[in-house]
Amino acid sequence: MTVSSNKEAFLNTIASKLGRERKTHVQRPVIQDLIPDSYGQLTNDDLVEILKEQCFFIHTQVIESNPEILQRTLDDLIEANGGGIVMTSGDSRFEGYGLAFPEAFVWEEAAGREANIKRAESANTAIIFADCALAESGTVVVESRPDQGRSLHFLPAHYIAVIERQRLVLRSTQAAAAFNRRIQAGEPVGSSINFISGPSNSADIEMKLVVGVHGPLRATYVLI
Amino acid sequence: MSLQTDKRDFSERTLDGLGDSFMRNAVGSAQDSLKTRRLSAATTLGDWEQWRNVGQLIRQHTLQNLDYYLEQLADNVEKQGGHVYFAATKEEASSYIRDVVVRKQATKVVKSKSMVTEEIELNRVLIEAGCELIETDLGEYILQMDDWDPPSHIVAPALHKDRRQIQRVFSEKLGYTGDETPENLAGFARTVLRQKFLEAEVGITGCNFAIANLGAINLVTNEGNGDLTAAIPKTHIAVMGMERIVPTLEEMEVLDNLLCRSAVGQKLTSYITVMGPSAAGETDGPEEFHLVVVDNGRSDILGSEFNEALQCIRCGACLNVCPIYRHIGGHAYGSIYPGPIGAVITPLLGGYDDYKELPFASSLCGACTDVCPVKIPLHEQLIMHRQNIVQQRRTGAGDRLQMKAASRLLSSPALFGRSLRFAHSASRLMSKRGRIVRGPALIHGWIHARDLKQPVKQQDSFRAWMEKRKGGAEQ
Amino acid sequence: MKVSIFSTCLVDLMTPDVGIAMVEVLERLGCEIDFPASQVCCGQPTYNSGYLKDSKLAMQNMMLAFEHSDYVVGPSGSCIAMFHEYPKIFKGDPQWELKAVALKEKSYEFTQFIVKVLGVTDVGASLEGTATYHRSCHMTRLLGEKETPYQLLEQVKGLQLEPLKNSDNCCGFGGTFSVKMPEISEQMVDEKCGCIKDTGADILISADMGCLLNIGGRLSRKGEPVRIMHIAEVLNQHQSVVSRGGSRT
Repeated sequence: MTVSSNKEAFLNTIASKLGRERKTHVQRPVIQDLIPDSYGQLTNDDLVEILKEQCFFIHTQVIESNPEILQRTLDDLIEANGGGIVMTSGDSRFEGYGLAFPEAFVWEEAAGREANIKRAESANTAIIFADCALAESGTVVVESRPDQGRSLHFLPAHYIAVIERQRLVLRSTQAAAAFNRRIQAGEPVGSSINFISGPSNSADIEMKLVVGVHGPLRATYVLI
Repeated sequence: MSLQTDKRDFSERTLDGLGDSFMRNAVGSAQDSLKTRRLSAATTLGDWEQWRNVGQLIRQHTLQNLDYYLEQLADNVEKQGGHVYFAATKEEASSYIRDVVVRKQATKVVKSKSMVTEEIELNRVLIEAGCELIETDLGEYILQMDDWDPPSHIVAPALHKDRRQIQRVFSEKLGYTGDETPENLAGFARTVLRQKFLEAEVGITGCNFAIANLGAINLVTNEGNGDLTAAIPKTHIAVMGMERIVPTLEEMEVLDNLLCRSAVGQKLTSYITVMGPSAAGETDGPEEFHLVVVDNGRSDILGSEFNEALQCIRCGACLNVCPIYRHIGGHAYGSIYPGPIGAVITPLLGGYDDYKELPFASSLCGACTDVCPVKIPLHEQLIMHRQNIVQQRRTGAGDRLQMKAASRLLSSPALFGRSLRFAHSASRLMSKRGRIVRGPALIHGWIHARDLKQPVKQQDSFRAWMEKRKGGAEQ
Repeated sequence: MKVSIFSTCLVDLMTPDVGIAMVEVLERLGCEIDFPASQVCCGQPTYNSGYLKDSKLAMQNMMLAFEHSDYVVGPSGSCIAMFHEYPKIFKGDPQWELKAVALKEKSYEFTQFIVKVLGVTDVGASLEGTATYHRSCHMTRLLGEKETPYQLLEQVKGLQLEPLKNSDNCCGFGGTFSVKMPEISEQMVDEKCGCIKDTGADILISADMGCLLNIGGRLSRKGEPVRIMHIAEVLNQHQSVVSRGGSRT
């Protein structure tokens, strides 16, 4: 199979249109800090408030919980979502916080593609732990891993993301910089980095917002 | 669908648009609400002008070093086992994709909204190859079900349709029996399309930005269809215009913020995903990943006077403020790229033969330039198009004569003075009660809709008044 | 302060009252006025239509006409914005580039000159009535002057200013656009007229005659009883001066 067969000609055309030889080294421009100074002094509590306020606008429920009552909080949410099948990621934090969901599926490498997707599709609720969360936009950030597939975030009707408070940062700037540091250091990152801000939605019909389209119909963030 | 969506004359298309009162209402209220939302989302970012400057800097830097970043991108995709294909023409792009699909023996293909795949006529090619191809973006799906009705907005493709039209399409084509509420229509589409995602063998998406140092693409969506398209089928083909690339996630982050706020007034859309070929141990995502980089006329823009048009991030903000788009709608542009940015890039990609009217479909009010998050001087580019069109003698002989005469008159004090003397008496022949009622073809359109009073008599002109005063003062 | 008046061809030919009002206001503010008689047009109609070479003749004529002026002041944000484009148009032209820069640097739209150069916001005008203000596109976006008309109008005694919905939207004039694409232009001006009517104002004020001729012509055709006034005429409404009234369409 031909890979990149046209690459050289294609890139040479570009260089010639730009009126120069091909470039072999480029210095990225420095991006100046665009975040207002007033954001520098924010405490973790401030970030929680910003997150809660933003989630109101993105149709996402925020529940403040703590490690002691987390199991109870999640059980209540599952029930409020109408029960049904639960699917979680294989994140070690589930065990760390002593969480257990009887008759729940766990996304696992050993199950393979078909079974994982099928289970996720059958699940009414997905539960995951956020790798980090962005207060300003009400976003949870998750990476794909062998124990956490991409479609786990999209197939179940209800999406619950557990956010540990200390993982809250102000906005996407910090998350992107952190990822880029890892990339530049040659560390592996998941093949899918998801910035998820609330449930799926569409305004394609008469510009009227419908919450719940292809992805989850409802999203809840549980803060601990 | 190709770049061209309607072969009729621009004037015919315009009259269609002006006559469609539903569409005009829909566009008008969409513009009004998107404008407000964009403004409020922009102000929360701090200094919006500073963000625009950085957006412009990033886009210009990337374009100036496009060969370098594309090569870096290709290397990094291939390192992860992905394939990169550089397509100089639309035919090369769509044939490559068809070949991949045929080799996979795939017949079920899901797509997530992508403008560039329209440009390369991918849908036609794949359908001719025997595939069942489904557009999964809700708006695009509605258009597909309505016999491939063309899109009319970059971000909201079905903006020109109302709920009853959509209900009728769903019931005729899909046996839908529910009511016309957007919730139920969307819910029905969710159910139908969920099955399509699960069955699909190949997923095709566009690409908001490719990330060079990672070898991945970035998709910005709200519905979740883009992610399902890339997560479930075993093969993912991403198609990108060659200019849609950033050096790293840091630049992507700036542009995504500008994009989401400019396009829909959201801080971030629901789903912003950075994705590439599935990694070892991951059980979903593509086992086979292809990235198709499309030139199709873009390299001719690169380094030309229209270079800045390639900065476009397809947010649609210029459509949302354009007073012309407001009244004629997207279809009148006859291109998959409507609005001000469409009037700039469509003639570049499709040529003046078919699109020489588009650059004139602007009052040059500058609203587009003002709103563009990456500072493309859109209205100035429209003037440059007009200059080219005039230079190639593509304007009518009448227009040329009038403009030549006007330029002589407007650059010569003597001629202008003389014409001041004639203007009033000449217009008297065409006037009734001080208002002009007849005249040369040039002003027919004007007096059709508006009253126009006669020019003043030469002795009453402003310059005559000034001269009299001066004379008085000197005496 | 010596000020050269740039009357603009529309004012010269169609609405001399506006030019006269401008002169009277500036004189009352202590300016010494002159009118370089060789001026004609800024070249915008042909430039915006794509006739670059032809429009340069008009531009060159203007650069020469105002070569010896200290300040050039005109009653149109659009025409002054065109002057501000000259340096870009003549960039690299050894004969004209410096002249273009010089003209740009000394050119001001009428309200901009009063507020930013003379430092005045209250010109002592008074006018009883309810008005709304149409901000012209070229003045606000190309010239970048958004506030000065409002600053001046706020000080006009007796004048109540009503906000105009969708004030950012073009009125549909656009110079030759209004005659080349009359069907679209008509719909644009129609919508603008609707918004003006909704304010309940009896006076429409603007700082650009092009927009006013367009909107005024449409209002008149529709029989709307809204009077149009250029801002110079409003600012010239002064107790000691016999009122000239608004310009007619």
